[in-house]
Amino acid sequence: MMKLLIIEDDVAAAASLKRGLEESGYAVELAHDGECGLQQARDGDHDLWVIDVMLPKRDGLALLKVLRDEGRRAPALILSALGKVDDRVNGLRAGGDDYVVKPYAFVELLARIEALLRRARSLSGGPETVLQLADLKMDLLGRAVTRAGQEIDLQPREFDLLEYLMRHAGQVVTRTMLLENVWEYFFDPQTNVVDVHISRLRQKIDKSFSPPLLHTVRGTGYILRMEP
Amino acid sequence: MGGIWLSVLLLVPVGAGAAYWLARRRQQNLALLRRRLVAVTQSVRQTGDNIAHDLRTPLTRLRADVEAALRQEDGKVHRAALERVLDEIQGMQNIINALLALGQAEAGGMQVKKKTVDLTGLLMEMIELYAPSAEERQLTLKGRIEPNLTIEADRQLLARILSNLLDNELKYVPAGGLIMLSAAAKGDKLEILVEDNGPGIPVDMRDKIFERFARLDPSRTVSSGAGLGLSLVRAFARVLQGDARVAESSLGGAAFIVTLSTSAADVSRPAP
Repeated sequence: MMKLLIIEDDVAAAASLKRGLEESGYAVELAHDGECGLQQARDGDHDLWVIDVMLPKRDGLALLKVLRDEGRRAPALILSALGKVDDRVNGLRAGGDDYVVKPYAFVELLARIEALLRRARSLSGGPETVLQLADLKMDLLGRAVTRAGQEIDLQPREFDLLEYLMRHAGQVVTRTMLLENVWEYFFDPQTNVVDVHISRLRQKIDKSFSPPLLHTVRGTGYILRMEP
Repeated sequence: MGGIWLSVLLLVPVGAGAAYWLARRRQQNLALLRRRLVAVTQSVRQTGDNIAHDLRTPLTRLRADVEAALRQEDGKVHRAALERVLDEIQGMQNIINALLALGQAEAGGMQVKKKTVDLTGLLMEMIELYAPSAEERQLTLKGRIEPNLTIEADRQLLARILSNLLDNELKYVPAGGLIMLSAAAKGDKLEILVEDNGPGIPVDMRDKIFERFARLDPSRTVSSGAGLGLSLVRAFARVLQGDARVAESSLGGAAFIVTLSTSAADVSRPAP
């Protein structure tokens, strides 16, 4: 079982986050201030840290910097109530791997945690050149996509979108994650731009084939997988 | 001697006149300052009223929804109510986030990450991002962009300006309409235009629509947005040492014009 450490001084928020993550199959440890958090991160063998920026005794970014300087490499997800453009940059610069602004949706946080854990696991292998899910194949070098042996013609952005979904197959991906990783925009437009791109991609990879692979997760985002 | 007296005699009224003129000038300045202060106070009060209104409306709906759900025992009813509650919370969060961004931009607290941005590329990307959504609403989104435009600015901020303008167009241009995104260099300035063949903006509303919570429909019942998008556009443009305004488009509708200096972020503002 994956072990997570949450360093968050809002006791109620930390408890509900712990409950949610435990329901999703993780073992969760809590720390409520920067000093305890630092100690627990040093002592425990965690797969991932969730760190709030504003913490009593030692702030989250300083704490993370200490851990990184000591050579500790667990992926870190930064939580911040601030949400300025430069906060995100500062968070990542301090050694964070991803950044979520409060108040966040639990599903958004969960999706990002899963993406970070998967990235950490796949880093051990070499770079992939072919991605495959069921009969859907992506040749990253030749930039070619086939389903059931039939070639599928994708626009460059559709290709990037599918590549991101394939790399996170079996895992919920939110609209915000797609905007950040496929388009590199760190804000959410008011228009449903991502949904429309997804529905076009779905037309191409799912419409004349079975089973459907690209599913909508209501209120959250999308998932690419075999089961409905 | 006589000459000196003559000078004194001449200078006294001149001096008195100058003193009077200065005092009057000071009074006028004070009056101007007072009028400005009153205007700012009014706008702050208006903004406060609007925030209260814009948050109270969803809160009222939330409360009614939760109370109605609590009177029932049905799990399905509870679930449906909770889903609506989440939607309302998201809407309120959007308003608060936009207000925070506005406050930050207007107070000069936004750090600008200056970099050479391929503006032509960014505009094409925006068209590519929005064109499918436009098409879904039976709108045509086209571009007329000069090649090789670059600007020293913050890519994310530029993209947020464009995104807010396009969100606005998709919301208000009626189906069948045309939206044109264009950009051209004008001397040491860059002009970005987002225009349409929709109903346009009445002359007396052209400055007002950039104010917080401004909507053309005063009843404010249209749930199409909080009315903060254009305020953000202007505030972000000003952070980039530029400005935003609206005029009549040659297409027949509104033309939103963002003017930026080609080295927009040269004078980056220090955080307070």
